[in-house]
Amino acid sequence: MDIFWLVILGLTMGMVFGIALEKSRVMEPGVLINQFLFRDFTMLKMFLAATATGLVSLSALTAFGIAELHPKGFVVGNIIIGGTILGIGIAIAGACPGTVFAQIGRGYKDAWFTITGGLLGAAFYGYNKSVIDGALDLGNLGKITYADFVPSVPFWMLGLGTSALLVVFMFALESYRPWTSDRKDASGGLGHSPAE
Amino acid sequence: MDLLRKSMRSPYLAGIIIGLLQIPAFLLVDTALGASSSFVTASGFLFSAFDSSVAEIKYFAKYMSKDKYFWQSALVTGIALGAFISYKASGRTSSFSSPSWRSLSVSPAALPRIIQGFIGGFVLLIGARIAGGCTSGHGISGLAQLSVGSSVAVVFMFVGGIIAANLLYKRS
Repeated sequence: MDIFWLVILGLTMGMVFGIALEKSRVMEPGVLINQFLFRDFTMLKMFLAATATGLVSLSALTAFGIAELHPKGFVVGNIIIGGTILGIGIAIAGACPGTVFAQIGRGYKDAWFTITGGLLGAAFYGYNKSVIDGALDLGNLGKITYADFVPSVPFWMLGLGTSALLVVFMFALESYRPWTSDRKDASGGLGHSPAE
Repeated sequence: MDLLRKSMRSPYLAGIIIGLLQIPAFLLVDTALGASSSFVTASGFLFSAFDSSVAEIKYFAKYMSKDKYFWQSALVTGIALGAFISYKASGRTSSFSSPSWRSLSVSPAALPRIIQGFIGGFVLLIGARIAGGCTSGHGISGLAQLSVGSSVAVVFMFVGGIIAANLLYKRS
């Protein structure tokens, strides 16, 4: 696709993404951090629904043979240490690399500083990639997926099965803790009333 | 436009919408949803204004040349636009920082928010780039592809987040 149309497509998809993040309040620092404190389950609910829907979407695309999967590699040390640092970063910033842009749209000025820090963090890694990767080198298991463990089962079957399990889990979570109750006890002042 | 006017919507609905976005991503861009690569693209272009060697560093060069990273940069810009539309339509007032910080007994005052945001952003992107993806790329997209590495990354994101959140905010 022409770069112009790729950018238009990206902006359009991003707008849908941004509306979803803003309306679900997942972009609020209090929602993310209270998930880590198990006081608010909004983030987990959105995350499970997105994963389950993604699994169904990709199961369909691969079953019809119209798209190829692009799983990321399992670089052991990088995944473990990087994942942990990323989690710490989410807890400090109250944002993810994606939701910080929704904070910008929401008008939170401090998010500009999170992005500035993020640009410097990305540059720091870019300049020091070989040193950092060398220090964390625990081997690379490649782009393995759980579907590789059962080669006789097609991805779509495993994908739909996993998605169904996630849906069951979501129903259990929802009956234990309805989404409308989440922010009441934890995220004070988050969009209860239109007057907020 | 009642859909946009409500200030609070189901996280399940939001998740379903985001999960469906994988379809145009894979079909039209041949890639998965992600966000953190765009920081490398942007910082590559920013730093190349001061340092002409940046474009010769293989890591930056990759993110400054491939079409899918321009698409992703447009995607994150779109996230800001979409959130702006959603926020304006719901008629809420703006504030320097999120009122939700109060639920963590954290001061919403400007200076501490700036410092914490800056440090948080730095840590966030170092972690995401070391891991090779963020909550979108490893989380939502990696799990939807049943990636083993991404599932381990997600577990450690929660480990890091839970430990840090308990150390930083437990008293609240």
